[in-house]
Amino acid sequence: MKTEYLLVLAAILVFPLMLSLVMRIRMYKHPRAMLFSMGIMCVVYWTWDVLVTARGHWSFNPAYVLDARLLGMPVEEWLFFIIIAFVAIFTYEAVRLVIGERSAQ
Amino acid sequence: MKEYTFLAVASAVLALFLDRFLHTAVLRKREYWIAIGVMFFFKIPSNGYLTWRPIVLYNPEYFLGVRLWSIPLEDFFYGYGFITATIVLWEYFLRKDRTP
Repeated sequence: MKTEYLLVLAAILVFPLMLSLVMRIRMYKHPRAMLFSMGIMCVVYWTWDVLVTARGHWSFNPAYVLDARLLGMPVEEWLFFIIIAFVAIFTYEAVRLVIGERSAQ
Repeated sequence: MKEYTFLAVASAVLALFLDRFLHTAVLRKREYWIAIGVMFFFKIPSNGYLTWRPIVLYNPEYFLGVRLWSIPLEDFFYGYGFITATIVLWEYFLRKDRTP
């Protein structure tokens, strides 16, 4: 199924998005900090990924990814870093909230 | 030394240096270590599926070939570095947001 990589990404996002509805995660109040941290991470890791994909470190099985590609990588791979960076910050802030440390405000 | 092995370990080490360099000290926070645990718990099924199917194919020329379940050992360093650097930068910019 060509949408499988996309479905894996959706599965990764399900928990954080659902928890967003019930937890008061304050990260959304800091769009600039989100943009800068996620932006820097994506640019660095996109660059790394484009270079090593071209070099042949890894490849993507055409049976499970969409045909849309940018600089040799499927769109799912580009989305991957945005999603993981988001989930990392979300998890960190959610843990903070649960253990009662001072969270982002 | 295989290229991906070197890059993955180097990126994890760089993330640790970034924490020192930016004075974010996330490594000393309990919430950071718990978040790492949670992320790795979910990393195993997702990364596992990507590599078991396989959706992503790794070139044996560039990695050790050691896998935990289906996940190349290097992916754990890669993931650790990525998550750590993301949290470090988030803390850094959050602090800047609070003290303009």
